[in-house]
Amino acid sequence: MTTSRNLGVEDATDVRAVPRRSVGQKLLSSGTVLALVVLILFFFLMRPDVFLSFTNVKNILYQVAILAIIAGAQTIVMVVGDFDLSVAATSALAGAVAASLMISGWPIALAIFAALIVGLLIGLANGLLIAYVNLSAFVATLATLTSVTGLAFMVTEGTTLFNLPPEFNNLGQGKFLEIPLPVFIAIGISAILWFVLRFTTLGRRWYATGGNVEVSRLSGVNVRRARLLAFTVAGFVSAIGGVLLAARLGSASAVQGEDNLLFSVAAVFLGMTIVRSGAANLVGTMVGVAIIGVMSNGLNILGVNAYVQQVVTGLIIIAAVTLSSLKTRER
Amino acid sequence: MTILDGATDPTRLEPRPALEAREITKRFDGVHALENAGLSVRPGEIHALLGENGAGKSTLIKVLTGIYAPDSGTLLRNGEEIEFANVRVANHAGVVALYQELSVIPSISVAENILLGDQTPSRGGIVQWKTLRRRARAQLDSINQKIPLGMLAGDLSPVQQTMVAFARALAMDANVLILDEPTASLTDTEITDLFAVLRSLRDRGVAIVYVSHRLEEVFELCDRLTIMRNGQTIVTKDVADSHIDEVISTMVGRNAGELYPDRGTATTTVALTAKDLDGRRVKDVSFEVHRGEVLGIGGLAGSGRSELLRILSGAQKHSAGEITVGETTLPKSPGVPRALAAGIALVPEERRAQGVILGASIQDNIAVANISAVSTMGVVSGARITDITTRGMRDLQIKARTPRQHVSELSGGNQQKVVLAKMLARKPAVLLMDEPTRGIDVGTKAEIYRLIRRLAEAGTAVITVSSELPELIGMSDRILIMHEGRISGEVAAAEADEEILLAYCYGKADAHDNLS
Repeated sequence: MTTSRNLGVEDATDVRAVPRRSVGQKLLSSGTVLALVVLILFFFLMRPDVFLSFTNVKNILYQVAILAIIAGAQTIVMVVGDFDLSVAATSALAGAVAASLMISGWPIALAIFAALIVGLLIGLANGLLIAYVNLSAFVATLATLTSVTGLAFMVTEGTTLFNLPPEFNNLGQGKFLEIPLPVFIAIGISAILWFVLRFTTLGRRWYATGGNVEVSRLSGVNVRRARLLAFTVAGFVSAIGGVLLAARLGSASAVQGEDNLLFSVAAVFLGMTIVRSGAANLVGTMVGVAIIGVMSNGLNILGVNAYVQQVVTGLIIIAAVTLSSLKTRER
Repeated sequence: MTILDGATDPTRLEPRPALEAREITKRFDGVHALENAGLSVRPGEIHALLGENGAGKSTLIKVLTGIYAPDSGTLLRNGEEIEFANVRVANHAGVVALYQELSVIPSISVAENILLGDQTPSRGGIVQWKTLRRRARAQLDSINQKIPLGMLAGDLSPVQQTMVAFARALAMDANVLILDEPTASLTDTEITDLFAVLRSLRDRGVAIVYVSHRLEEVFELCDRLTIMRNGQTIVTKDVADSHIDEVISTMVGRNAGELYPDRGTATTTVALTAKDLDGRRVKDVSFEVHRGEVLGIGGLAGSGRSELLRILSGAQKHSAGEITVGETTLPKSPGVPRALAAGIALVPEERRAQGVILGASIQDNIAVANISAVSTMGVVSGARITDITTRGMRDLQIKARTPRQHVSELSGGNQQKVVLAKMLARKPAVLLMDEPTRGIDVGTKAEIYRLIRRLAEAGTAVITVSSELPELIGMSDRILIMHEGRISGEVAAAEADEEILLAYCYGKADAHDNLS
């Protein structure tokens, strides 16, 4: 991670950051946003009857809801200048814990609560290792990723847990106004995280720490606590994503949602390109999530197989980030 | 006084320049960074390039080394017109610039650093280690340096790293060397060594362009000087024919006037007491500073002066002793947040690494140190941030387009003002400043001295560490000198001269008696 970055306050929604340019112009000047627009146009032109239909847009949102939550968790950690390889594993463990407790007769609410606490504790452990034991984020979260996955296998006994209570499954499969509940939950969580990052002292401290650790420390920011909190929140939020994923699938296994690790990092990276300073920011992350979602859905509609989709996803990331860095070099 | 004139042919009158730039113009976004700027360096001279921050020195250097292509103007190498498409071309032509921060690659050995890239001897892609070491040794020998070839460059002292960078430049057959602030992080003895090497290179016929804010060094070392202002070359002349005051006023473009404001009268109210402080280097340090007083702390590099400030600011732990602010005695090793809350604020030594977040805006930088002041119940108010920022920018006359401009785009002096603004917004009772004017231009220096005095008059106790003795004498009311972690002398600034201070710096406890 670079040491000098912005406090992210001038994110994509901020008109005043650069005078003489509107929000629209600013967004379009980013390769990433341009990539999203091009993708949407492309799929729309290929399948004008299907792609932008209400049902399909709803599908896209449903498909990316859980990724959006996990990518939100990743954003926080990347704002502080670190990253977290254990987000997806944590979410899988949380889903497994909730499922296994419910199967053994715990009330739904209590099982969910326990799962979220498990996520929080994993995040706390990451934070302690990184901020206080001074392990690198790579080593610490790689280690927790390994152990947490092992724990998830122990909880599920290597199988897939199903026959979960229908009220629980309803959380992931139910609808309100024709729109699946996870979409609302994802929007709610994103809005909260956006608010925290942008408007609270905690968010300020996170961005300052990611900008320059030593400057922040000498300015009176408790840098260790800021990093600890970032990982803890990320663990907690990942667990929410995991519980929701179990509810949506109606089952829990040790490896479900594995893709979300790479996709969450990719979404944050894509999002970092939309601000001048190159800092992680939530609006950008959501643009990144949208790119990944649109692409996977569009390629599905065109009948492209999943393996090819993965290849294309990587290429799109390279293209969008390259476009943005070309712009920076011009300046 | 010879005004540099590209139209006349200088070769008849003086030795042919090794490198000459004529009527160079360079615009960025329509703004002139250079306008008919010129520089002419002869073989075998050390040529100082002077000017305030923003005068165009860096841009000119970048044109000379192929980093920027000029919009118009000509470069001449040994009298022949030449174009540098990029840095590599310039290097091949023997023109090499050494920048402080990028002088060596810390993770590889000294020998590899000296023969980097194309220079690495290899056969069929296999590195010829014996040849590499022999050639690297030869280059080091030629500048009389005995640095172990196998050591990692990152383990070397700053001056050794500079020497390795020289050796690398020589390995590239450089005979025009451009040095940007080479002494910024060196101690006095290291500077002496560096100067000896520079003089020997000059005597071998190397042309050296020397950029520095330390005019004393320029007068000690250089043969000629060129002064730039507002992107233009103002004058080139022999150092022997120049006077320091005249150089300063040419740089500033007006009479420098009195650099230091008049001293004030300190009160007798104690603002801060340090009692028996012990740290890694600091030993048994006790002193008091009063409200309204400017206390200067001097000493050689490594004497513990910076560590003392860091301990007082809570940034570094101490093993024994007590810090009292006003009536409150701080707990041991209080940490920055508690020290700040007690009213102690630090303007750190390394502006870019410790003072400002370069990639963040002015207002975000100021907000970092004032988070609780601009928030209610954990929620930050954008209006209050803008408010304290505009006030800080006005009070300190920070030159920037908007409070949202990135700090990386500001000049060094304005960056330093941002650091000051963020700490002053806390209205500290005790302001600690470590090298407050390092690397900033004369005009801004004078502004900062006046600001320090204004703060003192308003009742702040100011403690400043400086390695420049004239500055220490000029801006302080009272001076403490440290030697090997202890306070070796105390002098009222009005009675101080450099000789006494220097004697204390070298730990001669009876200096005052002998000299007075």
